[in-house]
Amino acid sequence: MYGLKFPHSARTREIRFVLNGSETSVRVPPGYTLLETLRYVLRMTGTKEGCARGDCGECTVLVDGVPVHACLTLMSQVEGRSVLTVEGIDRQHRLIRAFVEEGAVQCGHCTPGIVVAAYHLLSQVPRPTEEQVREALRGNLCRCTGYVKIIRAVLKAGEA
Amino acid sequence: MQHLADVEVYSVRTLREALELLSSVKGLRVIAGGTDLIVQLKTGVVPKTNLLDVSRVDELRYVRFEDGILRIGALTTFMEIYRSELVRRHAPLLAEAAFTVGSFQIMNKGTIGGNIVNASPAADSLPPLYALNAELKIVGPRGERFVRIQDFYKGYKKLDLMADELVAEVRIRPPGEGYVGHFFKHGLRRGDAIAVVNGAVLLRLSPEGIVRDARVALGAVAPTVVRSPSSERVLVGSRLSPEVMWRAAEAVVNDISPIDDVRGSAAYRRELSVNYVFMTLYRIARETGVVA
Repeated sequence: MYGLKFPHSARTREIRFVLNGSETSVRVPPGYTLLETLRYVLRMTGTKEGCARGDCGECTVLVDGVPVHACLTLMSQVEGRSVLTVEGIDRQHRLIRAFVEEGAVQCGHCTPGIVVAAYHLLSQVPRPTEEQVREALRGNLCRCTGYVKIIRAVLKAGEA
Repeated sequence: MQHLADVEVYSVRTLREALELLSSVKGLRVIAGGTDLIVQLKTGVVPKTNLLDVSRVDELRYVRFEDGILRIGALTTFMEIYRSELVRRHAPLLAEAAFTVGSFQIMNKGTIGGNIVNASPAADSLPPLYALNAELKIVGPRGERFVRIQDFYKGYKKLDLMADELVAEVRIRPPGEGYVGHFFKHGLRRGDAIAVVNGAVLLRLSPEGIVRDARVALGAVAPTVVRSPSSERVLVGSRLSPEVMWRAAEAVVNDISPIDDVRGSAAYRRELSVNYVFMTLYRIARETGVVA
């Protein structure tokens, strides 16, 4: 979208935070969102942009361990905090394996946000009920209508 | 949607720093969770302005119960409010509303102070605060002052708040023994939606099922959240029979002035208001054993 050339470079500032366990420093406008920074500056495109207004949950990341929308998080709010994106979850994690085994991915656009939200749920409630899975994922839309398999995958990861 | 790359963001860690900047830098808009403001800025609903980011002012994030008053710091998130044992015990209406504000992602970021100052007539925290007669602590260079929630709103998005002041705390005096109430909300999506109509009903019932006190508050049906004195008058002194509940529910139309918008028509909102107030009264009547 904006690439590395900022329209108003005078406004940039050095922002330090921990990204997927690594100390990170990035020079961006403080009014940039975390989503814009991840995708267009750091070129980490695992976190998706859907509605960019907090409705779809595609850009869900963990900030200091809790799920939030990267599209509604300014870089000024990330300074000194710890961010986990889908890239920070081990590919062999039981949750990822369960998504593959259950065929819980169709077009894949909602998947990273759902994986991050479910990852947080499992860190809080290792064996969630279906009700708890549905509540934790109520902010994540899937337009392939694949919810049944997604919920099954999270429940399966919870049983492992 | 536009970017905010040209917006200056002042980040502060203390209330004192925040107040100093508000006094010395003109035209700053305060941002807390940003779950609504960032969308409004990006879509141009509010003009782009420089921001004062107070999201890290940790001294305004707390729930305490002192001197018989529940005190909630303005930067307490809805997830914290929903989970708080103190809120559940002393203001369960507010805990119910906190859970419906949005998805977990929104609950983790949205703050009660932001919800109040953003001043949407559909704000989910407001009907409970109106029903509970909450009070706001406002701080500024001239010291602190207290405003009743009903008096804080002067009209659509018009607040009793100067440019150099901040809402610091929400105070709720628990209504006491014998009060029962519920929050209700009609959204177009259960998981994460802005209310088409929301509200709160809080009653004090005698052991015989006579209503001794009634507070009915509705949102998204007027320029501000409103109480319904017409409905409350029908209820007080009456036994909570189905007939009284219908009359009380139908009376709310006297006190609301809904509009047509993207989420629903005025007629639909009137209908929803009546039906939801009835359903909430009925729920209270069942839970207290007044009706079978």
